[in-house]
Amino acid sequence: MLRLYAEKRVNLVRLFAARLRSTAEAEDLVQDLYLKVQAMGEVDAREGGSALLFRMAQNLMLDRLRSGARASARDEGWRRLQGATVGGEQIADAPAADDVVAARQRLAALMAALETLPPREARAFTLHKLEGLSHAETAIAMGVSRSSVEKHISAALKTLIAKLP
Amino acid sequence: MTRSQQAIAAAVEWLVRLQRPSVTEADWLAFDAWLAESADHTAAYDAALAFDQEFDLGPTQLAPPPPAPVAVIRPRLRPSRRAWIWSTGAALAAAGVVGAVLLPLTAAPETVYSTGFGERKTVVLEDGSRIDLNAHSKIAVRFARGERHVTLGDAQAFFDVAKDPRRPFVIDAGDTRVRVVGTAFDVRHRDGAVAVAVQRGVVEVRPGTADRPTLIRLLPGEGLSHVEGQAGARPRPVAVDEITSWREGRLIYRDQPLSEIVADLNRQFARPLQLGDAHAADLRLSGVLIVDRQDAMVARLSSLLPVQATTTPDAVVIRSR
Repeated sequence: MLRLYAEKRVNLVRLFAARLRSTAEAEDLVQDLYLKVQAMGEVDAREGGSALLFRMAQNLMLDRLRSGARASARDEGWRRLQGATVGGEQIADAPAADDVVAARQRLAALMAALETLPPREARAFTLHKLEGLSHAETAIAMGVSRSSVEKHISAALKTLIAKLP
Repeated sequence: MTRSQQAIAAAVEWLVRLQRPSVTEADWLAFDAWLAESADHTAAYDAALAFDQEFDLGPTQLAPPPPAPVAVIRPRLRPSRRAWIWSTGAALAAAGVVGAVLLPLTAAPETVYSTGFGERKTVVLEDGSRIDLNAHSKIAVRFARGERHVTLGDAQAFFDVAKDPRRPFVIDAGDTRVRVVGTAFDVRHRDGAVAVAVQRGVVEVRPGTADRPTLIRLLPGEGLSHVEGQAGARPRPVAVDEITSWREGRLIYRDQPLSEIVADLNRQFARPLQLGDAHAADLRLSGVLIVDRQDAMVARLSSLLPVQATTTPDAVVIRSR
């Protein structure tokens, strides 16, 4: 099982980074998974081992969400920009000035690119990414189905990635 | 489309699919297999993921820090001795009856918590139960040996009750009594109506305590609405996440009249919103309103509904257009 874990580890992080909106949290989660897998001892993992790993990781994620131990990706982003963290304690309040300038320029470029999108794509993208609504809430706000929201967001992301390498 | 463009397109599809509320084992197996197919796929996915996370941080870089971290208030171990008498006392006082307040001499001390316009608060009680209070709400908490008791005035609150089978948690909201042992649920007592929505556990509700109330058991995902003074209520499925979204500073509506939405907004801001005509009051809205500044919220309302707003020094008047 540990060998399977070593093999799947990176892709599990990729999957949970999308779900948790944070690679750092996904790394954390998959590290917790390692402890669980280790505790299981020798298990014959040939059949369904990969699915089992996913299920265990999924349960760990739900536990985390429930316990509220997780700071949101947004807060984390804010802290990251606000200053360095040492041993879990924030040590500085102000980010380096040129980091802020670079981040702002990048953001301004992204905003400009957003303007060029078809209005519904831009709106779905704004509500979901910038205002933090879920797909379902975005669907309600726009009066469209959840699958259209997903299509709009996919289309917007594809265009934006192409425009802003 | 070049090969790398194709890979990016597929990667984005995966990213959006993985951000759905539920992802299955089959999704994981397919995703893992897709990544293993080619190094282009992993590179494209990592690029899409990095881009997505960068954008997620956008608003926090421009705007002030994330929505007000709600104040957490812990009552002092020995709450103030101020015996606070809910409406009974007020009613008696209003009726000019003085000195006739019947409180058991052994009554446990009562602690009052309240919030003002646009204020949210989290209260942690001595048993570990948590109460999130919505704006413009007032509750009184009293813990006795055999019972944990909360009286809801004009209030909306989300309760996460610590389990204690020997000491039930009882909430009185107008003529309705809610009783639980350990569970999470939302109670709204506004404008003569009581609404309950259950997130976790079982909640017992007796709508209309005075008049032979029937006991209704609500399970997770169920709720009820009851108009005070009328008979009972029926359990029905409710969208608990939507009902409790006020805790994250959002108001979610499904086909609700503007009059109700205005009433909600008037708990957020000191400057009142007024409806200029009956037609505007009846307009219905489905959608999500993010609670931020009043002018921004009014502007969004006018883009969602055929209304226009006029701001005067002491009110914002909304009329249909």
